[in-house]
Amino acid sequence: MTRHLHLRDISVSFNGFKALDGLNMSVGKGELRCLIGPNGAGKTTALDIICGKVKPSAGSVSFDGVTLEDMEEHQIARVGVGRKFQVPSVFRDLTVAENLEVARARRPGVWANLRWDARRAGREDIERLAQLVGLAEQLEQSAAHLSHGQTQWLEIGMLVAQDAELILMDEPTAGMTAHETRKTAELFVRLKGRHTLVVVEHDMGFVKAIGDVISVMHLGQLLAEGTAAEVEAHPDVRRAYLGSGGITNA
Amino acid sequence: MTSKTSPHNGIPQLSAQIAPLLLVCALVFALPLILNNDFLLNKIARYLVLGILTVSLALSWGYGGILNLGQAMSFGIGSYAMAMALKLKTIPVHTGSGGLPDFMVWNNVAQLPWFWMPFKSLGFALVAGVLAPALVAAALGWFVFRSRVTGVYVSIITLATMVVLNLVIIDQQSYTGGFNGITDLAQLELFGVAFDAYGRATYYLVAGCVMLSLLVAFAFTHTKAGLVVQAIRDHESRVRYFGYDVAAYQIFVFALSAAIAGLAGMLYTIVMEFASPTFLGVQISLSVVVWCAVGGRQSLVGAFLGAVLVAGMQGALSESAAFLETWTLVMGALFVLVVLFLPKGLAGLAQGVWRAIAQRRQATQEVAGTVGQTREGSA
Ligand SMILES: Nc1ncnc2c1ncn2[C@@H]1O[C@H](COP(=O)(O)OP(=O)(O)O)[C@@H](O)[C@H]1O
Ligand SMILES: [Mg+2]
Repeated sequence: MTRHLHLRDISVSFNGFKALDGLNMSVGKGELRCLIGPNGAGKTTALDIICGKVKPSAGSVSFDGVTLEDMEEHQIARVGVGRKFQVPSVFRDLTVAENLEVARARRPGVWANLRWDARRAGREDIERLAQLVGLAEQLEQSAAHLSHGQTQWLEIGMLVAQDAELILMDEPTAGMTAHETRKTAELFVRLKGRHTLVVVEHDMGFVKAIGDVISVMHLGQLLAEGTAAEVEAHPDVRRAYLGSGGITNA
Repeated sequence: MTSKTSPHNGIPQLSAQIAPLLLVCALVFALPLILNNDFLLNKIARYLVLGILTVSLALSWGYGGILNLGQAMSFGIGSYAMAMALKLKTIPVHTGSGGLPDFMVWNNVAQLPWFWMPFKSLGFALVAGVLAPALVAAALGWFVFRSRVTGVYVSIITLATMVVLNLVIIDQQSYTGGFNGITDLAQLELFGVAFDAYGRATYYLVAGCVMLSLLVAFAFTHTKAGLVVQAIRDHESRVRYFGYDVAAYQIFVFALSAAIAGLAGMLYTIVMEFASPTFLGVQISLSVVVWCAVGGRQSLVGAFLGAVLVAGMQGALSESAAFLETWTLVMGALFVLVVLFLPKGLAGLAQGVWRAIAQRRQATQEVAGTVGQTREGSA
């Protein structure tokens, strides 16, 4: 598999504390990679590095041969990186439809978006997206009035709308019911292949349902990589999760 | 899905939103038909101009989330651009040799300064009155938004910049007229029409500009760019991860807002017949914030009416000198009350009432509908 996304020797420190300590990780094109690890392992920070929210103090990130670490966030997004945040981040004063419309950033420049016809064209697309994430009835509702699970779905819908080649998901099923979680798993499996996904997740059932290869992080480093069975049997992984009730309850 | 009945295609929604705007414009245009008093019309034209200024703030503050406390700076620049052009058109009695403005003669200035030269052309002045504030705002915005300054710091920087310009104008008396401003102006003449401050032509010019400003602002807020600007207001950093250059959008809305404020400034000079450093003073700049909050900063029509009503009220009450002193207090109290109880201003209140009425009507219709059905069923 080609090195589609590649993190090389990434280190980050916050006030002297090393959140990432020489992290190396590669993800192939079209792959659905799950990223797991105990709390504070540095999973969120790893996604922050890829999308440009946090700049590494050492190491480099490349995506399809493009070096990302010196680019601004919007430039990284424009080369095809989308991000869902751990705390659902939507535009609360805008309606569901407007949220999806903002996310559908085909032409992100100011002048291109001053044209009157720029909005009508995407309307059908937005209705289809809303149906996909089960928010068709809420299209004209303000995003502030959605439940926690619906907000998670809206942000997932926004990432589909953005149509980024690489999608980074940080705990997308947190706060969802079992039924919603299952629907999310189905959606992710559908997205894989056309998009590359990196999904941070705690729920091992969900991980097993969607993941081919699982990467385990611990103390800012990559600890192990493999299928669910391989990873669960790995002695280092067992040790890392010791005391936290084992991998399934992390 | 219920796309037939709900406003999903966006068109009914758009017409419902533009209706109040057009209604207000129609009222503004119709006013001279029932009000046959040139003195009063001039006064109202003044409030309408302040309304345009407040619409410009609603654009940057209500939609863009940028609280520009120096909004009157753009207003002042527009006002001086117009005053400079009209000063150079005054009849020679009021001016020195070679058309040199009187205050320059008094200050022993021998020659028209270079930056006054282009204002010999009225066309240049009209363009400059809109473009100069926009360019100044864009330059300021470039520094502020590129370095990701946000919130209260933006407000402080805009306020400070305005105060500096205000002091420079007062200080450079020989070139700017200083504290007295620029007075004794010629009348604006355009396409053979003379715009006397107390004439109908001026009132309709102002009315036309009210409509133009409201429509331009409305059009912008309904483009995708306007939507992105609102998204930035809600959650600035999130917008970046969709690929938008946040600073570019902020600079644009900041400059557009300044251009509209500049237009208002030009009109203010025509209506008031002078330009003064007080036009870009702290007092007017803060008043605009209060008007905008009272009317509803997320509603263009609301902000406009907020200014016209509150400024008009102040005008009416200021006839009694005793009240004038307490006015600042009243304004302050009004602001606090609105912030506490009406975060969306009068426009928000009106929308709430309207929605309640609509729901009630719908409910009664539904009841009537079921009654009708049961009758049919039993028949
Ligand atoms: N902005 C920050 N400032 C200080 N410490 C941080 C910051 N972000 C993360 N950390 C620390 O870095 C470590 C890794 O955090 P994070 O990447 O969020 O872990 P995970 O997502 O795997 O739970 C944690 O110990 C966290 O406290
Ligand atoms: Mg995390």
